[in-house]
Amino acid sequence: MSGALPVARWRNPFVAALVVALLQSAVLGYMIESRASILRNGKDVLLRSAPIDPRDLLRGEYVILSYDISRISPDIIMGGLPADAAKAQLFVRLKQQPDGFWGPVEASFSPLAEAADSIVIRSLPFSYYPSAGAPPLFPNYGIERYYVPEGEGSVLETARSAQALSVNVRVDMEGRAQIRQVSIDGAPVYEEPMY
Amino acid sequence: MYRGRMERDLKRWVDLGLLPQSSASAMLAEYDARESTFSVGRVLLALAALLLSASLLLLVAANWEALPRLARVGGIVVLIWLFHFLAAYFLGRGAKAVGAALLILGTMSFGAGIALVGQMYHLSGDAADAMLLWFAGACLSAAAFASAAVTTIAACLAWAFLITLFESGGLVPAIESYFWLVPVLAVIVLTLVRYTDAARTRHLAYLLCVAWLGALYVDNPEIWLAIAYFAAGLVAFLLASLPRSPLYGLASEAGSAPSFYSFAVAVVGLVALQSEVGGAWAETALGVGLLALALVGIGLAGARNGAVRYLAYAVFAAEILYLAFETLGSILGTSGFFLISGVVVALVAWLVIRVERRLGRVGEVSQ
Repeated sequence: MSGALPVARWRNPFVAALVVALLQSAVLGYMIESRASILRNGKDVLLRSAPIDPRDLLRGEYVILSYDISRISPDIIMGGLPADAAKAQLFVRLKQQPDGFWGPVEASFSPLAEAADSIVIRSLPFSYYPSAGAPPLFPNYGIERYYVPEGEGSVLETARSAQALSVNVRVDMEGRAQIRQVSIDGAPVYEEPMY
Repeated sequence: MYRGRMERDLKRWVDLGLLPQSSASAMLAEYDARESTFSVGRVLLALAALLLSASLLLLVAANWEALPRLARVGGIVVLIWLFHFLAAYFLGRGAKAVGAALLILGTMSFGAGIALVGQMYHLSGDAADAMLLWFAGACLSAAAFASAAVTTIAACLAWAFLITLFESGGLVPAIESYFWLVPVLAVIVLTLVRYTDAARTRHLAYLLCVAWLGALYVDNPEIWLAIAYFAAGLVAFLLASLPRSPLYGLASEAGSAPSFYSFAVAVVGLVALQSEVGGAWAETALGVGLLALALVGIGLAGARNGAVRYLAYAVFAAEILYLAFETLGSILGTSGFFLISGVVVALVAWLVIRVERRLGRVGEVSQ
């Protein structure tokens, strides 16, 4: 290996610095904008939620949230189940219930059509294994984590005992969801700014 | 270290009158001036950069509310620009160690930025994507600055990617496509290693491939896969070790690593096959195959490649012992265990001495 090969490409390290810093900043900017756009343009959905494991709360950093829509009964799945083990995505149609929370009314492994007064949310890709007896599915939507400032996990833990945690989510046209607001007993605790 | 040994040898040769003192001093000075030479100062500087990066990552993890989120993102972006431009400034002035440390800080800041965005928007289930993005950013920096230090960071990130996949369940359908990406990452790292002269980092990439093959086999303990490992390893070993092979030049530029790791994969394949098949005859036949493979390794690459030679010795000795116990062990009992061990070790020692002497003679003749 010769020492001559390196340095040949970028004579001026400042060009390299410009290219690297610019591209890395652009990536971060793109990531931020792609999430902020969901908050900006998405439709509001109110979900009933509960922190899954109180130990996660005490550990701080983030809280794992489980939702009513995290359990999809096989009865509402349209268009059949995949025959083999596969990478799958679930599309779930949500409708507002009388109590104000949104719940699943229909689900499918292929995209669902838009319809008035309903919203289609898309799960993260997951591994589907066929099994006998059609057990319920537990898809994730990418809204299962809520990062809290250090030492504040206990605020949401009290909500666990109260059983009154609700999460306001915005869902965009592609079915991607983004947490907008976390409330306990209807009173907002955390409100998410766009940026 | 090599330098200490060399200094002692040079002193001895000077004392014996084989070498004038001036030449010995000039040789040591030349060695010290080489860029790849291990230098404590340079390593400490890189460690300092890593410690500072860790503090940065932990600061992000603390989710410190005193600063608004946008200010935190802005801070990270400023750091990315600052570190890369400072690195460019120092590299331009020839301060390579400081430049490398600053580039490490720049790449780690990019990672901190990715983590921060994930935290800001409560992203979950995207650990592999985040790692891949970070890896891409590191590769970009390594290529743009031809930086060996950042190439090493990229190799570590490729490992982190593999570990992330293990944590999310290995070869399950949801991340299968990511799993097949691992060897691609290894090839990218190897390309960067060649381009940036990051010689030692090469081993991280090869070990990544071996770990990946191991993970693949743990997920599919099938006979055909073991055979494929053996065959592919053997073919790669021959390609890397036979002077007539078209890849010989490329492989020997990379030192002993290509021959060694391909030989290791062939051995792993045959060992896996041996543990998979049933029946005394099949096992014995495979054992003989392993002995033959060890001899092929010594014969083809042993003279030039110490790593292959010692692996082949180890395989040979272990397999002989294994076969001895499989065939005779049950008859002889505990005292027989030591009897067989003694005889086998003596046999292997005799073989090793013969081989070493022969290789030494071949070396003299060819010179």
